[in-house]
Amino acid sequence: MEKKTFKSIPGTAYSSQNGHLLVSSGIPSLDTLLGGGIPVGTVVLIEEDFHGSYSKIVLKYFLAEGIVSKHSTLIASQDVNPSNIIKELPAVIDSDLDSTEISKISGISDKMKIAFRYQNLPTADSARNQYRHIGHLYDLSKNMSFSDIENSDICYWNGQRIENGTRLYSNPAYNALLRSIRNKIRDGKFYLKDSPNKRSILRIGVHSLGSPMWLPHRKSLHSIDSTRDLDKFIFCLRALVRSANAVAVVTIPTHLYHEISLDRCIHSSDIAMRLQAFGGTELENNQSLAEYQGFFYLTKLAAINSLASRHPGSMEYAFKLRRKKFSIDVLHLPPDIHDDSDPKRQSIPLTCGGGTKYLDF
Amino acid sequence: MISLGDPIASNAVLAALQIGEEDNIIAIKETPNADSNFVITHLIKKIIYEKKRLCLVNFHNTLDHYQNIGKKLGYDLLKGVDEGIVKIIQPIRDLLENIDQEDKYLQENTENIVKQLYLDIKDSLRVLKENNKSVYLIIDDLSHLHDLGVNINETLTFLHYCMNFIDDNDVSVVFNNHVSSKLDEIISNDLEYVADVHVEVSSLKTGMSQDVTGLLTIKRKSDVKQYHYKAFDRGIKTFHPGESIYHLYN
Repeated sequence: MEKKTFKSIPGTAYSSQNGHLLVSSGIPSLDTLLGGGIPVGTVVLIEEDFHGSYSKIVLKYFLAEGIVSKHSTLIASQDVNPSNIIKELPAVIDSDLDSTEISKISGISDKMKIAFRYQNLPTADSARNQYRHIGHLYDLSKNMSFSDIENSDICYWNGQRIENGTRLYSNPAYNALLRSIRNKIRDGKFYLKDSPNKRSILRIGVHSLGSPMWLPHRKSLHSIDSTRDLDKFIFCLRALVRSANAVAVVTIPTHLYHEISLDRCIHSSDIAMRLQAFGGTELENNQSLAEYQGFFYLTKLAAINSLASRHPGSMEYAFKLRRKKFSIDVLHLPPDIHDDSDPKRQSIPLTCGGGTKYLDF
Repeated sequence: MISLGDPIASNAVLAALQIGEEDNIIAIKETPNADSNFVITHLIKKIIYEKKRLCLVNFHNTLDHYQNIGKKLGYDLLKGVDEGIVKIIQPIRDLLENIDQEDKYLQENTENIVKQLYLDIKDSLRVLKENNKSVYLIIDDLSHLHDLGVNINETLTFLHYCMNFIDDNDVSVVFNNHVSSKLDEIISNDLEYVADVHVEVSSLKTGMSQDVTGLLTIKRKSDVKQYHYKAFDRGIKTFHPGESIYHLYN
C-alpha cells in the first residue's frame, strides 16, 4: 500500500497516525471509534443482532457513503433482493447546511459557562474533532434519490446463477460470490498494481453471509462443512481486498451458529464488531438503558502496518437509533435519582426520625 | 542501557525472548483477541541484524505490512529481498490466481496444497543456504492452512517435513499458530511439545486494559517466564507483571 500510487481518491483520507488510506463507514461515531475510518484493504465483520435489523442499517450507511463518494459498489445477499437494500439507502443531508449548523451549535456552547474544574477536561466533542471527518451525514427517514443510484456503478449479486463446477466448497454459492468479486476487481481495475486513469474504491457489502438461505439445497441442516466454507470464504476475501483498493463489510447472523465458534472468521477479518439489541430481551425495559437500543462490542481492531492496535480498551459502547440517525456512543448510565414526578416521594422529609411512617424497609 | 549495537540487549522483546543459536524450533501460540505479530517482526529484526538468511511464508499479513513495521523497527525487508538474503513466499497474494483455476493453494486435493508449499520452501531454502549461512524459516500463520481445507494429519506431516530441515543444523524454524478451534489447539500442543522455545501471546484474563496490552509467556522446557507487554506505534515495552505503572510513568 504505497502512498505515492494514490492520487486523492474522493471520499478517502490518510490517517494522521499511520498514513493508512481510510474510507468512512458513513456513521461519524463509528469512524471515530475505528480511528478515523475503515482502512482500505480490510474486511469488516459484523455479527448481527437477533433480527438483523441494526446490522442492516450499518451496512446501508456504509453503502450510501460509497454512492455519495462516487465509489463503486458490489452488494450481495441471498436473504433479500440486493436491489432492495440499495433502494432503501438513507438520503444524504446537504453537507454545507450541516457544517453551518454545527458551527452555530458550537458558537452557543462557547458562551455557556462551565465550572472551572471541568473546563480543561477533554470532552467527547474534542476527541471527535481529533479526526477530520471524511464522510457525509444521512437522514434515515428519507431514501436516497433514484438519480443518485442510477448514476453510480453498482453490481448486484443474488446467487441466482451458480455454476456447480467446484468442489472446493460444499456450497458453490461461496465460490460464485468470490469469483464475482474477483471479476469486479479485475474488470474495474481496482488492483493495487493496476494504474487506471481515475482511481476509485470498491465497496463490497455482503448481507447475512452464511444465513440459512446460503445452504445448498440438498442439505437441510447446518453441518461442519458449511462453517468450513465460511472460514475459507473470509480468508479468500481477505486476500482479495488486501491486493486491491477495496473494503468489504460482511454481516453474519452469528446467533445461528451458537454451537460453532466464529473465532476463525474473526481471525481472518481485520475489524470485528458485534451488535446486541435489547429488543426482545429482559434489558428492553431497563430504565437506565432506555436511551439506547443495544450494546455495541468492538471485538477486534487489528493493527495494520503498525504494532499497536487503535482499540479503545475497556470502554463500553451502546448504539442508539433515532428517527433520522444511528449512532454509537460510550455507554453512560444515568445518575441514580428516583423519579421526581412521583408526588409521594417528593413529600418525604429529609430529616432523620421525622416521618417514619414513609420509610419502607 | 545500550543505545546502539546489539538489539538483543537493547530491545525489550528480544531481551525477553533470548533466542540463541541452539533454539531451532520456535513455536508461537496466539490466542483469540491477542496479536503475536510483534514477536515475528522482532525476530526478523534480529535475523537481519545478525546477517542471517530468512524465508518468510505469509498467510496472514501482506509484505507491505512487514515492510512498514520493519521501517519502524529499523530494518528494510525489501532491501533484503533485493540482496537475496530474504525470500518471501506469499500465499495471501498468490491465492488470488487460484480462485478460477483451482490450483496450488485452492484445490480439492488438500494434500497437494502442503506438498507444493513444502517444495516452494525447499527451493527457497536451497538458494538461501548456498553460502553456508544459517537460515530461518518463518511461517505466519499455520492455522490458515485449516481455512484452506488442509486436515490435521496433513498439517502435522507438513510440520514434520519442515522440522527435518533442521537436521542440517543451519536451519531454524518459527511457526506462528493462531488458536481458535479444537484442531488449532491440537497442532499447538504438538508444537509446544517439540519446540525449544514456546512463546504464547494472550490477552489479559480480566479484559482490556489501557496500561497492558497482553501477556507474553516464554517457555523453555521447564523454565517459564511471564511478561506483560504494552504495544506502542513504534515499539513494544515489556515488564514483569505488576510493574506496568512503574515502566509507563517513569
